[in-house]
Amino acid sequence: MDGRVGLRASRRAAPTPRVAVRSSPRHRARSGSGLGKENKAGSSTPLRHRPNAFSELDNATPRVMLRRIIQNQPQVSPLALQTVQLEETEDAQPEPPSQRTSSTVELQLPDLVPEDASVTTFRMTRKRKKLSISEFERAADKRLPQNQAHSTLDSTLVRSLRMSVGSVMAPDTVEKRGLLRRPQNHKAIDIAAFEGGVEQNMLQIKAQDYLVDLQTSSMTGTTTIRTDAEVVLNNTELFVEPQLGEQNLLAVEPQLSDSKTSAQRSNTSYPAHEKARLEGLVSRVSTDERRTLRFSEKDLITDHEHVDGITQKTPAKQGEEEQDHSQQNDPMEQFSESEEMAGTTQHHADAEYSEHSEKKLSRKAVSQLTAAQDAGVEMEMTPSEGGVAEGTEHQDSPKAELQMAGSPGGHSPASYSLEKPGAKPLKEAVEQTGEIERGTITGVLDAAEEEATDDESDIEDHESEEISMKTPMFVHAAAYRPQPVLSPPHPVKSASPELPPQPVRAKPVPKSSGAAQRKTREPEIASSLIKQIFSHYVKTPVTRDAYKIVEKCSERYFKQISSDLEAYSQHAGRKTVEMADVELLMRRQGLVTDKMPLHVLVERHLPLEYRKLLIPIAVSGNKVIPCK
Amino acid sequence: GSEAAGGEQRELLIQRLRAAVHYTTGALAQDVAEDKGVLFSKQTVAAISEITFRQAENFARDLEMFARHAKRSTITSEDVKLLARRSNSLLKYITQKSDELASSNMEQKEKKKKKSSAAKGRKTEENETPVTESEDSNMA
Repeated sequence: MDGRVGLRASRRAAPTPRVAVRSSPRHRARSGSGLGKENKAGSSTPLRHRPNAFSELDNATPRVMLRRIIQNQPQVSPLALQTVQLEETEDAQPEPPSQRTSSTVELQLPDLVPEDASVTTFRMTRKRKKLSISEFERAADKRLPQNQAHSTLDSTLVRSLRMSVGSVMAPDTVEKRGLLRRPQNHKAIDIAAFEGGVEQNMLQIKAQDYLVDLQTSSMTGTTTIRTDAEVVLNNTELFVEPQLGEQNLLAVEPQLSDSKTSAQRSNTSYPAHEKARLEGLVSRVSTDERRTLRFSEKDLITDHEHVDGITQKTPAKQGEEEQDHSQQNDPMEQFSESEEMAGTTQHHADAEYSEHSEKKLSRKAVSQLTAAQDAGVEMEMTPSEGGVAEGTEHQDSPKAELQMAGSPGGHSPASYSLEKPGAKPLKEAVEQTGEIERGTITGVLDAAEEEATDDESDIEDHESEEISMKTPMFVHAAAYRPQPVLSPPHPVKSASPELPPQPVRAKPVPKSSGAAQRKTREPEIASSLIKQIFSHYVKTPVTRDAYKIVEKCSERYFKQISSDLEAYSQHAGRKTVEMADVELLMRRQGLVTDKMPLHVLVERHLPLEYRKLLIPIAVSGNKVIPCK
Repeated sequence: GSEAAGGEQRELLIQRLRAAVHYTTGALAQDVAEDKGVLFSKQTVAAISEITFRQAENFARDLEMFARHAKRSTITSEDVKLLARRSNSLLKYITQKSDELASSNMEQKEKKKKKSSAAKGRKTEENETPVTESEDSNMA
């Protein structure tokens, strides 16, 4: 009773007497007979009877009855009974089976009524699932008028029927869902996202690896990661006006200083490598160009240029410049460097890098270094004096280089950093160039021995090449080493610069090949890096052969995109790959569409710091106004 | 209303273009079928024409992007060459064709110059001079 009432609050209260009445055999017989008549005759008379019988039972609305049936009569579908009963008026010809079932149900209904009284809980039986709601509703609708239920009641009945049935169904479905509720993390690998992520992560991880290496080798965490692109970019800008470098330095400085904040920089720098770097590279390149201009004369110096640029900058602008050109030369490096130390860190990074490269160099030939260094120093002195307007800088650059060479030479990075901040020490270093070189050479040897061999032997080759080329200035070597170190992640980019007829690139290329022909090897991405990234995304074990294939694929991929970037920049009549080129490439790849703007991707994949850098630029539509 | 009409107009135009592409695809398929002795089902032809149409849309968008990238407002053959970089053989073919076109244009220009400056005899002589193909444009 209570249950029934509770169940149907909107319904009339189920009077017990009604139940008793229903349960009375008389009523049962009546209902049964009535039903039987109905079934057979298909007339509405039984319905009339039934309504009488049921009308007495307030609760005997179709809804309630159905509910009872559902609860108690799994086998018999009340719908059949209801349908038979309700459809009598329409013209449904109850089928004999349905009639029989209806009769049985009819007979059962009175039973259900008393039962229902005792039933207070809703019993859901699985079999009830098979109730056809539409049928039910039809039956309910038919029943309602017969029961003289009010229209409102009808609707409510229908609704309640629906609800009851629905509720019956719901738990089942819910239960089903519950059974199915299993954490399914397996996502189909989105190739585009993976590629983009691989690119970014490769850079990041590459930087991190180098950072780790550097750190382990007692170098500060600044890793000058120079992708091949960066190297190339720097090289391409060899003949850019020297003045740009300084300006860029200044411009870059604020940007870089901001970036120096967190270690994420290094990570972000990698993802944004192609984009942010390009921007930064432009400025850096300009500065590098300055440097390169000075040393363009000397093939050996090509590497030095980068290093020189870094070093020169520092002397010129002492604190700021140091940071700047370290930043400029290696935005990535700087990012990583800045984390640990402001400005000096960068230098340290350079130093570390140079140390890193130095150790590589040691492998090649110390003598080469010495000779190169001597030659480089001399050469550097000459070019610096020659054409660059930065008179003091020239001097400083050799000094700086010396300084840098000295620091990597095994001196504590602190000393290096100390030297960096002051132009004076740099100047003094000039005089001590020879000494420093020697020192650096030893330092290099030490560093080489200290540091563990890298995975990328090609990096070593590059470094050795570069070191031999720019032996005079370890700074150059240091500055340039990051480039070769970075080159493995971007073998394509290093290759692409060779393609275009760019004099800057042409010089370093023949030099490197000539200087390090013994171990000339095309830069490769660290296989460990690829394994790391790939396994991180795949989440399942991967065989070695698979890794090899992935490595080949990624190499080809980077080759292709670097070639594309080169074509795009050339198409725009530029010699430097810029963010516009990268954006164009992404559009062509389908990563950036009308629906998916670039800055959304930036937000998605890049760390926050890079977002601040990139998004306004991306939104500006290839109109980058460098802040000056 | 006017926009809707314009949109409808555009839609009609697109349909007509699609139909044109479909017809041409059917004709080409017919030629290939005769040539190779294979048959093309209608679904195949329809699929090919739809693909072609959508790819043409892509090309148009990319070409416009390339032209804008070069700060131009006109799509030139350079943009087309950049577009064709996806496939090496296609790129070679296109550069070859463009070189031929360029050389023929040059010849025409020279002819005009000659015409204007000299007698027509000179022009005939120039016509007979062999056409030298310029080297392929930079293919990065």
